[in-house]
Amino acid sequence: MDTNTVSILEGNTFVVSDLRGDIGISPADPTGLFSWDTRMLSHWLLTIDGARPNLLSTDDLNYYAIQFFLAPDTGKVSFDAELSLFRKRMVGKGFHEDLTILSHKQEPIDLTVRIEAASDFADLFEVKDDLEKKGECYQRVEDKRLILGYRREQFVRETWISACEPATIDERGLTFAVHLEPHGRWTTCLNVVAAIAMSGIHNTRVKYQHEDKEAKPEMQLNLEQWRENAPRLMCSWNWLERIYQRSLVDLAALRYFPALMFGKSLPAAGLPWFMTIFGRDSLITSLQTLPFTPELAGTTLLALAARQGTMIDDFRDEEPGKIIHEVRFGEMTAFEERPHSPYYGSADATPLFLILLDEYERWTGNAQLVCRLELEARAALRWIDVYGDRNGDGYVEYETRNKETGLENQCWKDSWNSMLFADGSPSRLPRATCEIQGYVYDAKLRCARLARLFWHDPALAERLEKEAAELKQRFNEDFWLPEREFFALAIDGDGRKVDSLTSNIGHLLWSGIADEEKARACVRHLMSEQLFSGWGVRTMAEGEGGYNPIGYHLGTVWPHDNSIIACGLRRYGYRAEAARIAAGILAAAIYFKGRLPEAFAGYQRALTRFPVEYPTACSPQAWSTGAPLLLIRALLGLEPDGEHLLVDPALPRSIKQLDVLDIPGRWGRMDASGLGKLDIGDVHSDLPLAL
Amino acid sequence: MGDSIAAFFEQLAARGYEPLLHSVSGTYRFDIEDQGSWGVIVKDGAIEVTRKLPKADCVLISDREIFARILQGEQNPTTAFMQGKVQVVGSLSLAQLFQRLFRIRPETSLNGREKDGYQHCEHS
Repeated sequence: MDTNTVSILEGNTFVVSDLRGDIGISPADPTGLFSWDTRMLSHWLLTIDGARPNLLSTDDLNYYAIQFFLAPDTGKVSFDAELSLFRKRMVGKGFHEDLTILSHKQEPIDLTVRIEAASDFADLFEVKDDLEKKGECYQRVEDKRLILGYRREQFVRETWISACEPATIDERGLTFAVHLEPHGRWTTCLNVVAAIAMSGIHNTRVKYQHEDKEAKPEMQLNLEQWRENAPRLMCSWNWLERIYQRSLVDLAALRYFPALMFGKSLPAAGLPWFMTIFGRDSLITSLQTLPFTPELAGTTLLALAARQGTMIDDFRDEEPGKIIHEVRFGEMTAFEERPHSPYYGSADATPLFLILLDEYERWTGNAQLVCRLELEARAALRWIDVYGDRNGDGYVEYETRNKETGLENQCWKDSWNSMLFADGSPSRLPRATCEIQGYVYDAKLRCARLARLFWHDPALAERLEKEAAELKQRFNEDFWLPEREFFALAIDGDGRKVDSLTSNIGHLLWSGIADEEKARACVRHLMSEQLFSGWGVRTMAEGEGGYNPIGYHLGTVWPHDNSIIACGLRRYGYRAEAARIAAGILAAAIYFKGRLPEAFAGYQRALTRFPVEYPTACSPQAWSTGAPLLLIRALLGLEPDGEHLLVDPALPRSIKQLDVLDIPGRWGRMDASGLGKLDIGDVHSDLPLAL
Repeated sequence: MGDSIAAFFEQLAARGYEPLLHSVSGTYRFDIEDQGSWGVIVKDGAIEVTRKLPKADCVLISDREIFARILQGEQNPTTAFMQGKVQVVGSLSLAQLFQRLFRIRPETSLNGREKDGYQHCEHS
């Protein structure tokens, strides 16, 4: 996250400003009030007698409220300012701002307080790509408020700005003539309403105002309840308690309430720019958080099922039965200049949907949902065989149908250059990446269980088991690189094995598709100096042609990737190795105050002794927030078994004791504890007691 | 154009049940400019079409040309709504679920799923 800006959000409405609370002052930092993927305010500047006050301090109260403390510039360091300014801002259907000025003078004083306001109504995609608007912006003063608007054909967006104190309002802002007695105080509130934020969504007032006594406590209570419902964690290594609490609070902020789901929430992908439903990110985060906040998984399944593809639509990469990649609501999506209405360019979301459906039932015992989503699950299975396997070779591969705005890579490593051969040369489309085949194998076996137990279709169960067994056999032959002893990253459009050593092989352990012998060889690679940095497994191994420790998918370490790999290691019985990865990632988390970034550099831990953050736009990122939770599951060996919760701890010695109490599930609530007994090797990969 | 709109509602009535709406219940009203209104009552996928106008949970308002283009598959219903060409009064979620009915083509429809030997689940 950019350190020059601060953000607050509620759902998909958020405000990004500079540290003084102003918006749109530095062209380098994208700031604004955003709602439903449109920038509703792009300029918001406070001046006192024509000058910007200086920053004293910023208080990030919580994810939806913030305070800015300012004082006029005296021009000299030694002169005390004679005024103080407080700006307190709360977001919700726009934002509410309380502006307070305190005089420290012995004489009365008159001030001109000015708020400049403007909006470019940019689509989020335009903010990123700096594109020209096609419609017209307008401004007018009406009913003691400033209306900023945008129109393109019938597409309209409007922001309404008003104040509770008398103001002179013009088309570029509000001016207050303020008189302050000696040591006096003046205050006004400012309401910036995202009045027409989306078609069908009209707001006449902001959600929270200073006079709403219940507003803040109500939201606060919501957060309190959220934390109370989650299991309690106690650990002799105190940092884990802080990391766990950080994850819970961040998950609360990342909750996204889709209109379709009647007040239920699912995890959005990242804050603030990715506060929307992403198939892959919402599914992975739901899988990671199942033992702690299982309601997220239920909502994710229902929301994704409701948007499942029904037809072939090249522009949206839609196919019958396919699970979505991303939904957006801005102007470019509305006018089909971008395909996100919704966009289906993801080849792994569909099998991951099936995996989550089964895993959700295993944890919660909610058979009703499995039955309710039977048709959708069958359609997803059909997609895998009919549309996912594009060339009939028995593997799911991807290639966008939308050459202009579709995604090049439709797997989790979705940057354009992530699929390289060992010599650094690019592979060709369509690509069947190895981890997607693992997901398909796992999905088919899991659906066989669901078909037998809930769908009363033993024939389908048998067919799926047979197909999974055949897939496993073929995969272990076709993807194996015997000379290098690991699985190829992908098979490309020319039928060539993409032979770079990557973290993707860890996902194959998670899915269970790797033969035991081959898994052993993969574990050796995962824990080798080429892949394991001391903090975690790199996306690509040192020594490969494309390796770059600060390349997005070419050598950085991703916490979510590592949490999946740790689970895979546990699945195959590699307890110490799983603990070593968990210890490395959790150790890195303490350098980020408990909040893991999306990715950090792949430098050797012994070299830097510090995890160097990869600069990304979003923090927190949902699947990084979920990573510690999945690592805790791996450390304690939590596994549902019928109506029981199995606990099989594999903790490093540096964690003397770990207790997780009241783990929700089909068993009601259960506790899990473990004592650290494992020797995980060199000190550089262990947990530091303090920084 | 008007004929295609009337025909759509007739076909909808004849269909009687739509698996894509199996978990949807609600009452819709379609106000189509110059064509009048139709009521569609959905209960767990069972569909009833009426010209007697019920109290609706979700009203979709459109001009004739846009609605006809949606039925022809020339205009995506979601982006028509996002552009402001189709107005929704009431439940946006019901509107979103119904739009799937405009987007099925017989050759690619998920309806084929029933042929997989599907049986109703006892838990539902």
